[in-house]
Amino acid sequence: MKKILAVLLCMTLSVGLLAGCGSKAATTGTAAADDVIKIGVFEPLTGGSAAGGELEVEGIKLANQMHPEVLGKKVELIIVDNKSDKAESATAVSRLIDQGVVSIIGSWGSGYSIAAGDVIKKAEITAVGTSCTNMMVTKGNDWYFRVCFIDPFQGKIMANYAFTRLGAKTAAIIQEVSNDYSVGLASYFKDEFIRLTGDANSIVEIANYNTGDSDFSGILTNVKAKNPDVIFAPGNFTESAQVVKQGKKLGITAPFIGGDTWETGEFIDVGGADVEGAVFSTFLFDEQAPLNDKAAKFIEEYKKVYPDKTIAAVTALGYDSYIFTLDAIERAGSTDPVAIQKAMASTAGFEGITGTFDITADGDADKDIAAIKEVKNGEFVFKETITLK
Amino acid sequence: MKKQYDKKRVVLNLILIAASVALLIYANENMSFYSKRIINLCAVYAIMGLSMNLINGFTGMFSLGSAGFMAIGAYAVAIFTVPVDVRAEVFYLQPMWPLIANIHIGFLPAMILGGFLSAIAAFLIGFPVLRLRGDYLAIATLGFSEIIRIAFTNLQTVTNGPLGIKYIPSFDEIWWPVGVAIVTTVFMFLLIKSTYGRAFKAIREDEIAAEAMGINLFKHKMLSFVISGFMAGMGGALMAGILGTIDPKQFLFTLTYNFLLIIVLGGMGSISGTIISSVIVTAGLEWLRIADEPMIMFGYHIPMFRPGFRMVVFSILLMAIVLFFSKGLMGTKELSWELLGNWYKRQRARFIKKDPSLKGGGSK
Repeated sequence: MKKILAVLLCMTLSVGLLAGCGSKAATTGTAAADDVIKIGVFEPLTGGSAAGGELEVEGIKLANQMHPEVLGKKVELIIVDNKSDKAESATAVSRLIDQGVVSIIGSWGSGYSIAAGDVIKKAEITAVGTSCTNMMVTKGNDWYFRVCFIDPFQGKIMANYAFTRLGAKTAAIIQEVSNDYSVGLASYFKDEFIRLTGDANSIVEIANYNTGDSDFSGILTNVKAKNPDVIFAPGNFTESAQVVKQGKKLGITAPFIGGDTWETGEFIDVGGADVEGAVFSTFLFDEQAPLNDKAAKFIEEYKKVYPDKTIAAVTALGYDSYIFTLDAIERAGSTDPVAIQKAMASTAGFEGITGTFDITADGDADKDIAAIKEVKNGEFVFKETITLK
Repeated sequence: MKKQYDKKRVVLNLILIAASVALLIYANENMSFYSKRIINLCAVYAIMGLSMNLINGFTGMFSLGSAGFMAIGAYAVAIFTVPVDVRAEVFYLQPMWPLIANIHIGFLPAMILGGFLSAIAAFLIGFPVLRLRGDYLAIATLGFSEIIRIAFTNLQTVTNGPLGIKYIPSFDEIWWPVGVAIVTTVFMFLLIKSTYGRAFKAIREDEIAAEAMGINLFKHKMLSFVISGFMAGMGGALMAGILGTIDPKQFLFTLTYNFLLIIVLGGMGSISGTIISSVIVTAGLEWLRIADEPMIMFGYHIPMFRPGFRMVVFSILLMAIVLFFSKGLMGTKELSWELLGNWYKRQRARFIKKDPSLKGGGSK
């Protein structure tokens, strides 16, 4: 018995070894001709954030199929998993750099991008963020760019929505205190809402909860007592859905509004009928109303591969980040990292499928439009766009 | 006879030390950033494994607080080594607590401070907790590690809360982590060989018997716990120095399981086993990335090889290792020249038995 196991173990190991040789042979075989441009992708493909990473990789792969060439050379994607872990992200990116990629795309989750940013900055190679919205991803790092909007913008958008569209004079905030995204959004919402109403006391309550909590009746009772016009509750989709659900049970009538993380099937699965009417801001992408021809083409191609799936906004952002990288390489005219960095930094009027944008001094996309979506009949329905000046 | 044997061992040890120093210098000069990072991570995991093995393997207490101690060390480095002029940028939601906002120290003092803070935390938590045994101790230490994490999440003006701290001056060189790992290993060997180490082992084998022999149970358990806390703090500090950014979510209790995996795999109560398995787990998992890449073998694209597959392969290998070595790779043994020599002799004997022609004419 032990012998059989030993043999099996040896076989697994040798297959692994063979695999190493096999794949190396394959890459060197093509790279030898020097006609391949390698673009690295690091995304969470296992672990807690795997669902998000998978969606983005879908978009990047599809973009690669649709636009397989740049500068007359074939583009090869090297996809590595960051295990939804910060230390692993930095290692994964070092590996990509070691394999000679010319630019890097990723990642879902700002924490992973920030951890990788340090390596990217030292190696002086460009990186394009897909949906990492935390300010610190690009700040102080000339080599990191991104195609999505940032947390302050989204907080401001929702404050504007609450003030102008809902006519709210008071608001309560329920934030997931262990989540940088939630805390960031809540903080910018607060500042903007106070600025708009001109009343320092317009935020009547700030309630905290932790990731993984399941009973929110205590904080919701407090919120209800303050009787706000609107409740801003950005956070992880499961907990947020519970917050809305339990709030409705307690008889809170004020509308619940949130951020882009709510646009996940689980939000409706958990919340059921109670999340009907919940409104949130998200990346500007709607498969019913494509922004331009490129978007229409992308939707068409996507539906060929995945006929039954609705396209997530992050998938579209994955597509945009790939096209943005290709565009910069094209304009740089070479694969020299410094040239690509210059091309990316000077991007103006880039027409992506999630909106047209310039790159700011920090390396962010200056998107000034966000989509507002609502949950209606168990689906996410596009409501309107809000432009922030 | 014995003297001669010792001489041989000294020579072998010296050769080994010289070879490893040469190898490290070579690695630091010639290896890519990626390989050096893996070496650094191996070193940190080895330190964390040793710290956990001291309590779990040598003293026989089941503690799961490593992640918490690590967080203390990591935050000591993060808070005090970030340059003062970029602190406003890091603490962009709420400014840093004015009392510490202008204190800046170098990496070495910060790392030692991290170790000491961690040891102090271990000392304080040890008083109530070390009265517990077995699973209860595990639950209490696990709770402590979560408390630390949640405290760091909420201390917005000190730790920047969930946003984490960026701009920690990081290093690419392997000297800090590897140096500390070597010092820790040597220290552990000396500690385990000393009277204290023997007392720890006695406690592990049988607490009542140990107490009957005059060993002060609480004192020794506390000593083991505090030293382990100090090491974990140093490990955390090095982790912060390698990554350059940390946030509380990194120190979730699941982090502790990585170290638990290392000590179980290497052998509870074996220093060399811990080192070997930390290298296997860290470098091996990196090496298995080939399973994540698309593979073409004999012109055929094998569909199994896709991102995430390496975790499946890794799990299978772990199960196989646990099946063959139920006490871990090394059990409670240490890697020594005698062990290697005996192994070599055994293998040779086996070989000769199978193939009599190699035995020569003498035995007939």
